[in-house]
Amino acid sequence: MSLQPKKNTKDGQPTWGERDRLSVLNTDTRRLSAGAKVSGEALYSMDQRPEGMLFGRLVCVPVATAEFTLDLEPALAMDGVEGAIVLRKDKTLYNGQAVAAVAARTPELAEDAARAVKLEIKPLPWAVTAEQAMAERAPQVLGRRPNYGPRGRGDGTTGDEEETMLALEGAAYRVESEYHVPVQHHCSLETHGVVADYDGGEEATIYASTQSVFGIPGSAAREMDLSRKNVRCVVEHMGGGFGSKFSMDVAGKAACALAKETGRPVYVFNDREQEFQTSGNRSGSTQRIQAGVDEEGKLVAMHSEMEKLGGLGPGPGTRQPYIYDVAESFTREHSIHTNTDASRAMRAPGHPQVSFAMESTIDQLAYEAGIDLVEFRKLNLSDPVYHRQLDRVAREIGWADHPHKSAPGTGDGWTAEGIGFGVTIWGGGGYAGCGANVRIERDGGVISSIGVQDLGTGVRTLVAMIPAEEFGLTVEDVDARIGDSHLPQGVSSGGSVTTGSVSPVVKSAAWNARLAFAEHLAPILSCEPGNVTFADGKVFDRASPDRGLSWQDACAALPTEGLTANGEFVDDLQASGVHGAQAARVRVDLKTGQLTVLKMVAIQDSGLVLNPLTWRSQVNGAMIQALGQALLEERCMDPDLGLQINPNFGDYKIPGSLEIPELVAIIDEEDTRQAVIGVGEPPVIPGVGAIANALQNACDVRITSLPLTPDKILSAIASQS
Amino acid sequence: MTRDHSSDPEPKSLSRRSFLKGAGGAAASGVFVGELATGAKPVEPTRCLSSEETLEGDVEVTFHLNGESIAVTVEPRTTLLSAMRDRIGHTAAKSVCEQGNCGACTVLLDDEPVYSCLTLAVKADGREVRTAGGLAEGGELSPVQAAMVDRDGMMCGFCTPGLVMSVTACLEKNPRADEAEVRQACSGNLCRCGTYPHVFQAALDAGRKMVASSNSGSGSAGGGR
Amino acid sequence: MKTFKIHRPKTVEQATGLLPSRRGPAEIDEARPMAGGQDLLTEMKSYLVQPESVVDLGAVAELEEYEVGASLRLGALTTLARIASDTEIGARWTALAEAAASVASPQIRTQATLGGNLCQRPRCWYFRHEDAVCIKKGGSECFAESGLSKYNAILGGGPSYIVHPSDCATALVCLDAEVTRSTKRGERTQPLEEFFTLPSEGSVMRENVLKADELLLKIEVPALPEGWKSTYLKFKERASYDFALCAVALSAKLEGGKIEDARLVLGAVAPIPWRARAAEEFLAGKQSTPEVWEKAGELAMEEAEPLADNAFKVPLAQGLIQKAFKSLTDGGAK
Repeated sequence: MSLQPKKNTKDGQPTWGERDRLSVLNTDTRRLSAGAKVSGEALYSMDQRPEGMLFGRLVCVPVATAEFTLDLEPALAMDGVEGAIVLRKDKTLYNGQAVAAVAARTPELAEDAARAVKLEIKPLPWAVTAEQAMAERAPQVLGRRPNYGPRGRGDGTTGDEEETMLALEGAAYRVESEYHVPVQHHCSLETHGVVADYDGGEEATIYASTQSVFGIPGSAAREMDLSRKNVRCVVEHMGGGFGSKFSMDVAGKAACALAKETGRPVYVFNDREQEFQTSGNRSGSTQRIQAGVDEEGKLVAMHSEMEKLGGLGPGPGTRQPYIYDVAESFTREHSIHTNTDASRAMRAPGHPQVSFAMESTIDQLAYEAGIDLVEFRKLNLSDPVYHRQLDRVAREIGWADHPHKSAPGTGDGWTAEGIGFGVTIWGGGGYAGCGANVRIERDGGVISSIGVQDLGTGVRTLVAMIPAEEFGLTVEDVDARIGDSHLPQGVSSGGSVTTGSVSPVVKSAAWNARLAFAEHLAPILSCEPGNVTFADGKVFDRASPDRGLSWQDACAALPTEGLTANGEFVDDLQASGVHGAQAARVRVDLKTGQLTVLKMVAIQDSGLVLNPLTWRSQVNGAMIQALGQALLEERCMDPDLGLQINPNFGDYKIPGSLEIPELVAIIDEEDTRQAVIGVGEPPVIPGVGAIANALQNACDVRITSLPLTPDKILSAIASQS
Repeated sequence: MTRDHSSDPEPKSLSRRSFLKGAGGAAASGVFVGELATGAKPVEPTRCLSSEETLEGDVEVTFHLNGESIAVTVEPRTTLLSAMRDRIGHTAAKSVCEQGNCGACTVLLDDEPVYSCLTLAVKADGREVRTAGGLAEGGELSPVQAAMVDRDGMMCGFCTPGLVMSVTACLEKNPRADEAEVRQACSGNLCRCGTYPHVFQAALDAGRKMVASSNSGSGSAGGGR
Repeated sequence: MKTFKIHRPKTVEQATGLLPSRRGPAEIDEARPMAGGQDLLTEMKSYLVQPESVVDLGAVAELEEYEVGASLRLGALTTLARIASDTEIGARWTALAEAAASVASPQIRTQATLGGNLCQRPRCWYFRHEDAVCIKKGGSECFAESGLSKYNAILGGGPSYIVHPSDCATALVCLDAEVTRSTKRGERTQPLEEFFTLPSEGSVMRENVLKADELLLKIEVPALPEGWKSTYLKFKERASYDFALCAVALSAKLEGGKIEDARLVLGAVAPIPWRARAAEEFLAGKQSTPEVWEKAGELAMEEAEPLADNAFKVPLAQGLIQKAFKSLTDGGAK
């Protein structure tokens, strides 16, 4: 039914409504897909098994850079092998780059076939580390361009170097350090890949592990020489992306090409080693920082130089002095290119690297000036939101009773405890471009649809919660349909924009549906449309709440085709701009160098939190990822072999159950904005700096090179005594 | 880990480069066995492999998967994980690391937690395999599953079926397990989203519920069979 | 994994008959024995070994001995989970129970066997990388020696610098265990300490004396003498599921604040479980004080020759030795 509401001035534009009157939104709500996930019924893209599916496998070149020749025939001659394709003919530029792919009837045969492909390799000189790339006569990894130079966003210089150096000279206290951040990996548990469901006809369905449902059909259609409109992308569930999954990648390309060649569905997913070698990473960096404060502890000057290690790519453009106020600041940023796969967006790209160096600098300066670490931060952060947030995390972490506020401690010979802080910043707003619709069926069903993917953030649940709130129903009453390019346009999940982009449109659709439904029901309830009220599974005239219709009966009054309303982006329903503060308490074992994080506290302002339960999951998870970067994670390249020697979960270590501290995730309730803001990124930023600072606070050991592993800590302790 | 890998990578790398192994290698004489999703057929658990001394080529393995007897044709090298996922389309257990590092493939083999990626399918012959797909009874989630739902013990959920099985194994032995024991039980499972705190809470909730229901006599402390 | 066939012998004799008399390069290995398979399958998946056949020992009843009596007799197929959960082993051979409980993860311990744990291959990341053909895989160079060596040996290294990955080995050498293996001429029993070989002694491609057609059959651990206690302290870079960065097994007779006698074995510092004999000799008869523990640590590390990245293992081992003594002194039961 084409019920669209007349512009109802009384109702005006949609708003989220007062927080204390919300019954579904802003309350802990179980994740909609939770039951399916805990029972293994949730079908991830990697779980799709269309009938007749072949198993594909990539053929990769196992050296840093090489010329090569390929012969697919030995593979194609094997029993059970149904197809083989060439993916690349030019020289490879990084270890593990895929050059061919095969498809066979079982995974074992596909593995055999991939190994049967005759691949003759002529390794070329490589540079896989910054040292190698900067060496004289180093091979130029990007061809004619030098390995070192301003390349990416943010590269070049800002500020006045001379003024900055003069201001530094005049500073009462100065510090100088060089910080090293290694390359970190996304480590999505579901690797990159695609199941291309195709039968040789004009249509295909692509099950992709992606952060961008709507980015897939176009590239798949090109790969398969099909019309874009005939290619559909479906992502019922996906196993993590963290910024690495915006395209089909080579595995997806291979699946599509093999499907086209064989006329059958084809599965291609990276194995774990390929995932490490070829599917992106967080860029590393080397930062040299000089900074100074005046007698009162105000930052007067900061000179920072950064070399970003983004492999073949440029690395992101975040720069110093990051969040802090500095009177005179100069930055110089360059990229160093190596024969390693290009860095990609990874949860707050560029931020943790810069934050680590900045928060470390802050603590060093505070100690030099002999000022309380919390007070010192407040002195150099003008935004009062940080002040209240720092006070809050300080209270939660036990700062008041902590003995080492303005000078590091030493411990008792066996162990030492310390506390560290960090602050964060992000946008988190959404933008227009999504579509959504809400459909009410005559049998009482409510279907809320938008094609966006759910990476595990809980978007699916929001898509149901919003109409449930609108109609006085429960989340279970609403069928949320997402993850499908045949549904209304979604947004790519990057930059924490998903919630801010999706929620306003779904809200608008639900709002419009409610107004239309109210107009339809007004004559039946003998009242003005504006007085039709939806609450507790009933519909009634606001003036006489005792009478009225059940939701079911109200829906039965709809025409056969039910009611559908579309939504549009409503700017006021979302906002941008968040702050945050974190504190970490650690214990150092002075005999072994073991650093144990005992507790982490995060506070975050994020406007109206639609689902506090999944919000806490997100913030906890961010702190844990930061803990991993601080304590464990590092891509290790052997320069002489040109190989990553830890491309597996045994040697590339991410946090496990025994690393997890007590975690406290606090919603900053003083942020009263009635607008939604995404929270994926900001809480991953300050933890690394906070943990590194807590280490120094505990035992006066400052490690300037991540991760903060026992070997470094113990060596530093040993050299202390 | 900073060492001075002197300025010129060339000479040294050449000396070591020759020890890099090329790709390719001898073609294996793979034998095709089984067909996806059709290799499985429910059977009576009469035939076991036990009498055969050598297993080669096509091997029909019979095991109980979540209580149902399943026969599936595999190769000797086929893992239990691949037999489930790629032969019979049961995808509850996930393939993540294939090296026994991450626990996403955790199943209970005769009630003990194992990595199905490091278990050959033939070794499951005649045995009981339980996955997260077999815990619900009469459409009702197990106490562990229900608590994971209530506590939001998941995000992307790819590690979740494995964690559910590790927690289940732990609580079936000892529903009174404290948080330290729960953490130990989960120490072979990796989660990248960072859902651990909610998983621990869920495990403790589930344990309490299992103890309560066994005290009231209205259910088995095992929460399972 | 490359395709293979599986033999399922029922006796040791049948099993050893299926094994090749000599071990060839990985690619042409005829047969490999498999107990729990928790290490072998990872090697095969990484194409480090590509046997034509696997000899599944699962049905060999002779390997299932399990006797907790005056001494402890454990067949090669005893699972680590069983050792870790046996409270009597925990009380009487504490170091072994602690070592078994510290291995990998619950899932691994369910299937991993004692025999497999003692015979597992090194974890060195070069060795485990298919594309790095190091000296242990038939190449001519130990890449760790000039490469990234954080996890490698500081004692007993050369020409390979792997560290032995077994937790149980360290504990069992400390507990003076004996190992029985099959040989062509029948069973042979010897101290476990002699079972492990340095790369400079035996073949650089092996870690023990076991020949290709021999099987480790069982381990026997004598009762600790009256008044002795033991402990195994494993230090991991990641607390959850990791191999040792360094480990200490200590058994000692402590009486009235005095160390009557002690046996000290270090793990993850050398290609074999490393007996710290100089420290043991020094400790006998000394008062149990932090100064003495520290001195013992110094003696234990006297011959250490770190590589570029692993000098930290010296203070780490020393710290762990002190902690082990502290734990034995304070811990009572331990």
